[in-house]
Amino acid sequence: MFAYILNLATLICINGVLAITLNFIMGYAGIFSLAHAIFFGVGAYSAAYFALHSSASIFLAVPAAMLVAAVLSLVLALPALRVRGEYFVAASLGLQVLGVTVFSEWKSITGGLGGIIGIPPVELFGHAVTDPVQFLLLASGCLALVILITNTLLRSSFGRNLKAIRDSESAAHSFGKNVAAIKTLSVVISSALAAVAGALYAFYLGFINVESFMLDTSTLLMAMVIIGGTGTLLGPIVGAVLLMLLPSLFSYMWFLPQTEIGSIQQIAYGTAMVLLMVFRPGGIVGSGKGDRR
Amino acid sequence: MLLLQLLINGLQVGALYALIAVGFSLVFGSTRVFHFAHGSAFTIAAYVFYYVFSVAQVHWTIAILGATAAAVLFGVMLDRFVYAPIQVHEGSFFTLFVASFGTAIVVQNLIGVIFGRSFVSVTTPLSRSIEISPGLFVSPLSGIAIVVAVLFFGGLQFFLMRTHVGMGLRALSENPELVRAYGLSPRRLSTMVFALGSLLVVPAAILSAASSGLSPAIGHHVMLISLAATIVGGVGSLRGAACAGLLLGMAENLALVYFEPQWSEAVTFIVLFLFILFRPSGFFGRAIAH
Repeated sequence: MFAYILNLATLICINGVLAITLNFIMGYAGIFSLAHAIFFGVGAYSAAYFALHSSASIFLAVPAAMLVAAVLSLVLALPALRVRGEYFVAASLGLQVLGVTVFSEWKSITGGLGGIIGIPPVELFGHAVTDPVQFLLLASGCLALVILITNTLLRSSFGRNLKAIRDSESAAHSFGKNVAAIKTLSVVISSALAAVAGALYAFYLGFINVESFMLDTSTLLMAMVIIGGTGTLLGPIVGAVLLMLLPSLFSYMWFLPQTEIGSIQQIAYGTAMVLLMVFRPGGIVGSGKGDRR
Repeated sequence: MLLLQLLINGLQVGALYALIAVGFSLVFGSTRVFHFAHGSAFTIAAYVFYYVFSVAQVHWTIAILGATAAAVLFGVMLDRFVYAPIQVHEGSFFTLFVASFGTAIVVQNLIGVIFGRSFVSVTTPLSRSIEISPGLFVSPLSGIAIVVAVLFFGGLQFFLMRTHVGMGLRALSENPELVRAYGLSPRRLSTMVFALGSLLVVPAAILSAASSGLSPAIGHHVMLISLAATIVGGVGSLRGAACAGLLLGMAENLALVYFEPQWSEAVTFIVLFLFILFRPSGFFGRAIAH
């Protein structure tokens, strides 16, 4: 039971990081990406590759993963600069599908559909973190750090610029803001921080494959942000906790067929998304009225 | 010979894609709803057809009627009970998109729970391929797919250009306020668009069920294709969407000459991605504000 709760808490931390970083671009820059799982994946694969071939130290493997994700995120930033709204959703969806194909076909790096096994435990000052309790501490430390970084950024002039762009790109432009640079930077930061979650995930499980980085994951992350409340500080965390607790909640309901838990969970959050949009577009934490255009 | 075979397959797939894309393009172009659940209408129609025809073993005409009724009902209900209440208080593309997206998730999983997540296929006497010359297999369904696509597209064009309601629908995409001023109800026209858009996926759903089989996740693929075709063809242009659908079907199949089959979907998306980057208004589209 204790091990189960530990596992759940660790996964909540990892998904919390992902939801916060997705909210960073969705809620503040107005970039609705359906490809967030790709950067999660890029982080996981890069960290795993780095750990297997070079060093498993957290101070080397995680920055390496962040760097790779940051560079690759420019591919996402490109359409974000060209188009908005529906067109960008379509582009990010395309990127997601493309990414999954690359993950499952580039066998020399990603191990294909089988994935990468035997990822060494992460090292902190030469000490291998194998104990679940210690790992949870590490994961929650990372979560706290990510919250701190994003909040600081959002409170700075950078955050105000982002919100200005979200509300009116042309107005921000006419005030002399470099819209392209600010947007690109927000995508790069969000993706690099998502890679931290990927690295943690790879080290935590010791095994990764493409299944964790498919469209379903991107959808789930988007649901976390939306259900919690887009563009709020607390929203994505609330969303992540709720949606991670959902499956365990369902497994306590004996009358539900256990083999269908995954589907029932997805039905539950799909329904929640629809009902929230009809009755409370701002999400649970957000103001009752949607403030987006 | 391989090339010819792939060309024929591409034509069949492309005809179906064209039908699917036209439905989405019609909805998106005239109501501006990012109707992600369009793929769900497809899945529902296909599974109703599968259930009535293959499981319950009822005559195919009834199966087709059932599939049509289910898809149209789904489209209309979604418009009435989900999109309309949202549009009353907020017109944000994103809110509508999320609601539509949520619906798509629910439908996919409900179908999975009811019919199982594995692959099912519908066998009809028409599904069997015939070897018309050595190494060249063609199933009667390819011919039917092409004929049906042409018929439906012609019918739609006639409806939109020549009938009173059709003109109203076209006006809706131009200027909803003006439609109201002329005494037509944008709300009723919108319901009409959803009924029509959902109707257009039915032939494609049935033909795909009979030719390549079904899984609950097929809605996603359908959605991706219609989205890609609508954007590549140019939002607001039905002809563009149809051409792009055909093109994507062909590209997907012809890509098999050079790539392994796993890459076919990726090929579609590279095309889409390049269009979004370099020509977001598509082939025939009006210039968009971005």
